[in-house]
This record gives sequence, structure tokens and C-alpha cells, in this order.
Amino acid sequence: MTAARGAGAALRRFAAPLWVLLPALVLLPLALRLPALAHGGGWDLVGQFALAALQPSLDPLVLGSVMGGLGITVGIALLGWAGSLVLGLLLGIASSRVVWNSMWGRRWPAELIRRLLAMPRSVHELLWGLLLLQLLGLQPAVAVVAIAVPFGALVARVVSDQIDNLPLGGLEALRTAGSSPPAALLTALGPPLLPQLLSYGGYRLECALRSATLLGVFGLGGLGTELRLTLQSLAFRELWSGLWALLVTMLALEAVVTALRRRWAMPLRFGGGGNPVGRQGQELLLTGLALLPLLVAVAWALGIHPNQLLQWQGLPPAPPPDWESVLALPWPRLLAGTLLLTALAAALAVGCAPLLLLLVAPWPWARLCLQGLWALGRLWPPPLTALLLLFVLEPGVVAGALALGFHNLGILGRLLLEAAGHTGSAARQALVAGGSGPRMALLYGQFSPLARPYLAYGAYRADVILRESVVVGLVGATGLGSQLLEALSSFAWDQLAALVLAYAALTLLGEDLSDRLRRRLSSRAQLPGLTPAFRSAPESVASDPAAPAGPPPELG
Amino acid sequence: MVNAIPALLELESISVDGRQAPRLADVSLRIEAGERVALVGPSGAGKSTLLAVANGLIRPSAGAVRWQGEPPAGGGRRRRRQQARIGTLWQDLRLIEELSVQQNLNAGRLAHWGWPRALLNLLLPMDTQACQQLLQRLDLDPALLNQPVSALSGGQRQRVALARLLRQEPLLLLADEPLASLDPRLAAELLELLLSQGKAPRALLLSLHRPDLLQGFDRVVGLRAGRLTFDLALGDTSDAALARSLAELYGGAARLEARR
Repeated sequence: MTAARGAGAALRRFAAPLWVLLPALVLLPLALRLPALAHGGGWDLVGQFALAALQPSLDPLVLGSVMGGLGITVGIALLGWAGSLVLGLLLGIASSRVVWNSMWGRRWPAELIRRLLAMPRSVHELLWGLLLLQLLGLQPAVAVVAIAVPFGALVARVVSDQIDNLPLGGLEALRTAGSSPPAALLTALGPPLLPQLLSYGGYRLECALRSATLLGVFGLGGLGTELRLTLQSLAFRELWSGLWALLVTMLALEAVVTALRRRWAMPLRFGGGGNPVGRQGQELLLTGLALLPLLVAVAWALGIHPNQLLQWQGLPPAPPPDWESVLALPWPRLLAGTLLLTALAAALAVGCAPLLLLLVAPWPWARLCLQGLWALGRLWPPPLTALLLLFVLEPGVVAGALALGFHNLGILGRLLLEAAGHTGSAARQALVAGGSGPRMALLYGQFSPLARPYLAYGAYRADVILRESVVVGLVGATGLGSQLLEALSSFAWDQLAALVLAYAALTLLGEDLSDRLRRRLSSRAQLPGLTPAFRSAPESVASDPAAPAGPPPELG
Repeated sequence: MVNAIPALLELESISVDGRQAPRLADVSLRIEAGERVALVGPSGAGKSTLLAVANGLIRPSAGAVRWQGEPPAGGGRRRRRQQARIGTLWQDLRLIEELSVQQNLNAGRLAHWGWPRALLNLLLPMDTQACQQLLQRLDLDPALLNQPVSALSGGQRQRVALARLLRQEPLLLLADEPLASLDPRLAAELLELLLSQGKAPRALLLSLHRPDLLQGFDRVVGLRAGRLTFDLALGDTSDAALARSLAELYGGAARLEARR
């Protein structure tokens, strides 16, 4: 009896390396279900698609339009990103409890602003884009705003959480010594905040590039539009010209961001600590200053004029809302479909990343292939994957989940690899030196310390996937997403409003749930007994309280 | 007949490149079964590098390593079998903090266990009796088996790391400054334990920076700036000669540092 209970407790406490593999069990029901869903009609098309990867079109005309599209996409991403950072920084400071408390002695305005910001955050940038498109007509500024608004609200939340999670000892010391609140805030909280902000900001730029591509797929301009058109006209060789260009751009961007992160000693997304930025301050400032003229030039090149945003186009007169038809929508089925899609995609992404890493552990070349595959997953917009899957699968939740899962697998896999480079490699080396195989050394040595932070990140990722589920709505029958796109294209504003609200409510609920789960995972990881999973060597004491402490909500 | 049984460890003209100066330059060392060898030298002399070459972590840029007369295999099962015969007590211990003491001890068996047992070890207590005996041998409470490693004190962790090493049942024991962070009593106890484990058919190579703890070793090897400066059998060497060698080793280093 006690033995059984002891074993149960041990299971919960010590099976950590196995937890990360648990979500991969979703593969079993999926594998059982897939044969029934496959219609086998388009295997030759998939084959052609794969073959075309080796012989992309080098026609100057195609390359020219790819480069033009890529330029627009990168420009949109850069402007949207910069806008979101400015917006997010200001709103983040405005919604920080610590700031309100020390400036005006009250906290409730911070809470209020935080609540208000939840709404723009919970609506995916694609929806923002499509709604703004109706209001403003097709222009590059639409995509920029569509990225800047929800990303800004996300950044605001992260900034305020980071500020509020910083240790306050320094601030109190300065305040009691009589310095003014703004000066004290800046001096005490600025330096520890900066590295976290830079790290997060760099990551947001990568997200912005992915989002700009995605918006293009839905017709908001840039390379995404070309990708979709070439896919739909089955011009795979032209499609691959665009994909390779995008891949190179994305990998270059990621490499630059990673290099800067290392140079400026910023913390990783999870795992690994960082040092406060000090001597590179001038370099940072210069980079920031150099960015300004670049942004202006990009805006000018894209033909973005701020006043265009004020010219709303006349909407067709809206018919009186028909709430009965809204109520008549199959709500339970829609919600269930969305949740199932989210759960499947999240489990696929979270579970497969460590599983695949484990499988390829003995062979460096296989690991490189895996990294390449993940990079493709990251850059390949999920709706395009979904369209491709329709060549061989019936439309529905599974096709959508596979597409979203593949995309997020690329993101999670990269983060896992990055964290594995810093956490637990000493323990893995020790195991290898003692003769254990590469897979078991990885499982025991690295997955043990990574399990909690990885799963905590996975919980957050599940919430992102919920919000993202709208983008695979175009493969049909995926729940709220497909219904929403349908309502949008048939100008059913009443349905649209109800569906957006439902999405937002669901997202906020999911956010709350994943927050709780994350707090549980990371608070247990920080009990004095259980070691923080963020140390690289067990003996080195984590000295920087800011880096591993307050769980920075890595949104995005 | 001298070479009938190949040496447990044979390093032949080993060099390891470093950023400015080589970390090891032309180091040759031979350790036979039953030998307990102390590796002394000032910090930065290359002791950890030498041990890392000895356990196969670092591949030397020149020279040859032989374990029991065989060169290190490129990989795969043969290499794993070779590695399993070399046990390392790491300076930073390298225990897996999230796992229990028992799981950590059993991690020493991973070289011999297949997948099923390795996975089961993460779920159930395995080989409890063997683990308990090990802990008792090292003067630890067997009840610690269920504790997470992170809940242990410094001295306990050191012993658990040693227990994992013994659970591996290696022939060649390597220890990198195992006494550095221990108080004198614990250090003496641990040293005694290690020396007792280093008897034939095993062998022990232990790096130290305290020349006062050399009693009980069979040989002392001095390393400075990546080069071997002396290799003395303690039985045949007078205390005065040893003291002279040691003074030269550390004094020379002091001069070297003063010049920088």
C-alpha cells in the first residue's frame, strides 16, 4: 500500500524526463485515424512538390517577383515589429502595477489597462488584418497595423509582467534615500529589464516575419501572396523559388538575432541565464539609432502614408443583425472542433520535438536534417501546409491540426535545441563518458532539467495555437476558424462579431489556464529543494535573481 | 613479460591545442592496474585537460590514447564498452538534480542496460538492494535513495557521485579535484575511500592541488604549463626529493605568474 503510494509519488516526482515525451502519445490515435482520412488522390502532386524543391525556378521574371515580394514582406515585418515594440513598451509601462504604485500610490489603473489590453491581444493578427482590410482597403499599411496592434498588446503584457516580477529591493532602497519616483524606477528596474526586453524583442522580430508572410497568404501583399498563388496553380518550381528565398531570409534573421542575443548577454527564451547588459550600452544605442532612418526608408519604399489610415472606405450598408441566425450556429460543434484542433496540434508539437531529437541523437547528420525540417516548418505558413495536405487528406480537424502542429513543432524544436545547448550538457557528457548511449544520455542528462521549463513553455504555446487555429480555417470544418472565414467572406457582420467574441473569450480562458499551469510548473521548479532547471552546471549557484526568477510569460 | 597485461591507461606524447599556449604538450603517462597516481600541479597546469583526454572527452590534437592496449573506438557499442570501464568523478559532480539518488546511482548502469530497463528506472525503483549496499559502504543512510539529489548536502552529494561511479564498476577511476570543496575531515575520508577503491585490478588517477595529501598514493605526477615535470614512485623516493620536486613545481609556477 505504502509502496504503491511511494511509487506513485516517485512517478510524479522523478519521471521528469518522460513527461516531455508524454504528449507524443497523440501520435497513436492519429496514426489509427489517418488511413480513413487519406483519399490518396494527390500523392503524385505531393511527389512533384517534393521534387520541385531540388529544382526551383531560376527564371529571372520569377526571381524578380520573389525578391519584390520578399522585400515587401520583410518591410511589413520590420515596420509592424517596430510599431509593436513602441506600442508595447508604452502600454507595458502604463499597465505595470509597480510603476503605478510608486508614481501615484495606487494599482487599480494598471489592472484596468491590463484588462483592456486583453481584448486586442486575444484576436489573432490575421483577423485584425482581414477586418482592417474591409475598413481601409488593400494597402501595405493594413498589414503593418495588423501586426503592430496585437503584437503591441502582447509585448505590453510581457513588459508589465517582467517589470512586476523584478525584485524590488533596489527600488525601495532608492526611494527611501529620497530619489524621485521616475528616476528610481529607471535606475533600479531599467538595467535588469533591458536584457529580457532585448531578448524578447529579437524573438518578436522573428514572429513578425512569420506573421507578415502569413498575412500575405491571405492576400495582404508580399511574398505570402505569391506563395499561395503558385501553390494553387500547382507551379511548384516557382513556389520553391519563393520558399528557398524565405528560408534563407529567416535563417539569416534568426542567426543575427541569436548572435546579438549572445553578444549582449541576453537570457534565452527558456533555460539558461543571462548577465545584465553593461558595456555594450553604446553599441545598443547606436543600433537603435541606426534603426530609425532604416524604418523611415522602408516605410517610404513601401509607400506607407500615415494619413491613409484615416481614410476609411465606405462600407456596404450593413443589414440589420439577425441574432437568431447567430444563435442557430452549431456552437457546441464549433467550440469542440476548435478545442480538439488545438489539443491535437499542441500535443503534436510539444511531444514530437523531444521525441524526434531523441531518435536522431546518435547521428549528427540526421540532427542537421531535422533542424532543416524544423526551419521549413517555421517558415512555411500553416494555411499553405494545410492546402498541401488537402492533396492527400480529407479536409477537417486532422488536416488543420497537422498543419498547425508542424509549424509549432518547428518553433518548439528550435527553442528546445537552443535550451539544450545551455542546460544539462555537462550531465549528458558525464553519462556518455560513463558509457551510456547518446539517446539515454540525452534523455537522462538533458531532458531531466529541461522537462519543467519546456512543458511550461508548451502550456503557453498551446494557448498561442488556440489563437492561431483561425489561420487553418480555410481547410474547412475546423470549428470556429472556418466558420469565421466564411462569415467574413459573406459579409455576415453579426455572425462575425459573435465569432470573434467567442474566439477572444476562448483565448482568454486558455491564457488563464495555461498561466496557472505554468505557474505551477515553474514554482515547483523553484522550490529550494528542487533545483532551478536553469543552471548549466549543478555546482554553479544561479546568482542572477532576475533571469531565472519571475516566470517571464513568453508570449508570441 | 612486462607487457603481458596491457596498461589500463596509456597516453603517448599527448598534445592538446589551446588558445594561446598548448593546454597539454607531449605528455606521456602509463598507469597499470593497482596503481594509485596523484596528479599535482598549480591551477591552470592542465590537470583537468589531462583527465578529459584520459576519459575520452577531449580528443588530443597529437599523440595516442590507449585503454587496456586498445585505441578508443570511433563510436558505437565498442566505444561504449570502453567508456564503461572508465569512471570519472567530476569536479562539478554532474549528478542529475531532478532525479532521485537511486535513479542517479542506476544511471551508472546505463552502459549495460537496454532501453526497457533505462525507461523503467525512470518509473520504478530498480536494483534497490545493490543501491542500498553501495550507500552503506559509503557511510550514507540507505533512506536517502528516495530523496532528490538536490535535497542533499555537499558532502552527501560527493558521496552519491562516488556511489554512481562505483555502480558503474569501472576499472580505471579518474577523479578531478574531488577534495577541493570539502572540509579536512570529509576530504580525508573521501581520499581514503578512493584509495581503497584504486587497488588492483583497478587503478586510480586523481588530480590534487594540495601536496599535503599525497600519503597513500603509489606515484606522484607533476604537471606544469601543460608539461609533465616529474613522475615519482613514492616508495622509492625520499621525502626530501619529493619536497624538492614539489617546491620546484609550485615555485616555478609562482615565478611564471610573476613574470606575466
